[in-house]
Amino acid sequence: MKIFTCIKYVPDTSEAEVKLDAGGTAVDSSRFSFDINDADNYAVEESVLIKEKYEGDVTVVSIGPKNSDVMIRMAMAKGCDRAIRIEDDRIASYDPLMVARVLAGAIKDQEFDLVFTGCMAEDYGQAVTGVALAEILGIPHAAYVKKVELEDGKLKAHRELEGGLMEVVEITTPAVLTIQTGINEPRYAPIRGIRQAQKKELKVVNLDDLGVPADEVSAEASQIVLEKLYIPVVESKAEIIEGAPEEKAEKLASILVKGGLL
Amino acid sequence: MRGMKMTTENQTFTEKFDLLGCIQCGRCTGGCPVTVRTNLNVRRFVYDAYNEDLLEELSRVADIWDCTACHTCAVRCPKGLKPLEVLIGLRSLVVESGKTEPTVRDALESTFMEGNPWNKPRATRNDWMEGLDVIVAEPEQKVENLFFVCCTIAYDPRVQVTARNIVNLLNKAGVDYAFLGTDETCCGSEIFTLGEDGLFEMLIEDNTEMLNEYQADRIVALSPHCFTTFNTHYPDLNKPVIHYTQLLAELLEQKKLAFKDGLEKKIVYHDPCYLGKQSGVFEEPRSVLKAIEGVELVEFGRNRERSLCCEGGGGKMWVESESKIERLAETRVKDARALEADIIAAACPFCVLTLDDAVKAEGFEEEMRVAEIMEILGELEVMQEKPSSAQEVED
Ligand code: SF4
Ligand code: SF4
Repeated sequence: MKIFTCIKYVPDTSEAEVKLDAGGTAVDSSRFSFDINDADNYAVEESVLIKEKYEGDVTVVSIGPKNSDVMIRMAMAKGCDRAIRIEDDRIASYDPLMVARVLAGAIKDQEFDLVFTGCMAEDYGQAVTGVALAEILGIPHAAYVKKVELEDGKLKAHRELEGGLMEVVEITTPAVLTIQTGINEPRYAPIRGIRQAQKKELKVVNLDDLGVPADEVSAEASQIVLEKLYIPVVESKAEIIEGAPEEKAEKLASILVKGGLL
Repeated sequence: MRGMKMTTENQTFTEKFDLLGCIQCGRCTGGCPVTVRTNLNVRRFVYDAYNEDLLEELSRVADIWDCTACHTCAVRCPKGLKPLEVLIGLRSLVVESGKTEPTVRDALESTFMEGNPWNKPRATRNDWMEGLDVIVAEPEQKVENLFFVCCTIAYDPRVQVTARNIVNLLNKAGVDYAFLGTDETCCGSEIFTLGEDGLFEMLIEDNTEMLNEYQADRIVALSPHCFTTFNTHYPDLNKPVIHYTQLLAELLEQKKLAFKDGLEKKIVYHDPCYLGKQSGVFEEPRSVLKAIEGVELVEFGRNRERSLCCEGGGGKMWVESESKIERLAETRVKDARALEADIIAAACPFCVLTLDDAVKAEGFEEEMRVAEIMEILGELEVMQEKPSSAQEVED
């Protein structure tokens, strides 16, 4: 079983105030801690669990700066076998389609049965990368997976849908699974294990090494232009509608019509 | 993540913890405070761990996480063993396997990544200083007292007051001091007791290197956990480490500090395990409290070496006990209530947090409160010297 697991180094925005940088198109991350994206951590655990059960090997793929090596070493300490870190300023990393193209560039020519990603990254929260990656690789996918049952040449993925519904889909492998948090309990990577993982291969590459044309994944190629970020203003505005039920309904309907919502 | 060095572990469990030295006298279990509310029997673990084949199985017994690392067993053992370290050794097996409780995992990962077990960014470590006039240390600058704050005091809003108030006191008393910047990193006290040896070794190496660079005469730790950990596990530190109550007692003794106001309160002092029975600092906190006019200092029946553990140490901040039996901290506040104390004074952030919860759980908020010694002193006006010989220092 050959697995590729894509992980991302993201800021934890829960413990410090979110402020924008001077340009207004990026978040000032100087006061944040960075760590593996939560869902990706579960993806790492799931890939290692599968490796332990069925044998095989796991390659970690990540796009990110040198600082993120610590996260990659932790994943290798947990049982992943090798890693590829892609570092290239030309990547329009705010656009999940560009990110998916880069990841696909690292994976497509390799032999693989499964590709794992987290279902959503905590920074931009778009939940697109894994699905786009499957599309580019031309293989099936299942998103928001909470349970995986492997069979020969296919798998059953239990997907968490809106409203708490679970859906079970059967897809053929190779496939991309985007992993939902809670699918397992990620293990701890002890420091001794992290030290030993220094011996495992961590290849640092750029777009040219991957043979991915920069103009296909850069800001020019992206259809997204990030114009402005802003912190939403906290507002509270409520209108209490008084009267008998019929009156209330009438008033409400007229407000909705006036507001262009009906 | 700074220095990383491999350690070689060639000793067997039996050798490492001197298990053959045990005479099964039962002094350890006899003094273990948590036996009243959990099934932990440390003597049995010392006995069973001799069988190397059993270690794996023993490490899966939940009781090993009930130990609060109060060290009573180590203090009482006539053979000089540290029975609790057998439990920590078993915890290490769990940690090495990666199968820790999620709360423990998160605390350890946070310490590795951000230098504190509280999942807080390193960059916000000194936010407690906001609005204060604090001197921040520079390695090349000579200073007498270099302060080490502690992760819990730095980040927990309930106990930050300890650091804030001592800054004001130091400024008013004209003490030569400086606080570390955001490179202050967890001392590893709780990392050690949670059984993460590798991480603990890394913290010792990195902290020793960092602290040795400072041109300070001594380090003053605000938490007894950092204080004791530096003194027992950091052999290569190039300067002595004292607890802040020792500094205050010294300033009072040298008449460089006095309190102008009195406080008409009955105070009972709770000896933190890490300050008292582990490091033998019993008198200084008491002498500080006694220096406040009007204070009536009373004693728990179980005081000094026999002080009842609050259950805040031993990594228990991250491992919930399953026992439904009254917590030791609750027993403690009931004892304080029986003494009709107005204030339970403590000199440790964990004691403050656990005792505070116990006061709430018992519904004693009207009758008494828990206060860190610096919290009490912060309410008094401080003078540089005794009134007889000197003029007051303006606020
Ligand atoms: S007190 Fe020491 S010698 Fe006695 S049973 Fe406990 S570990 Fe053994
Ligand atoms: S350290 Fe305290 S809680 Fe732990 S075994 Fe010893 S006496 Fe019991």
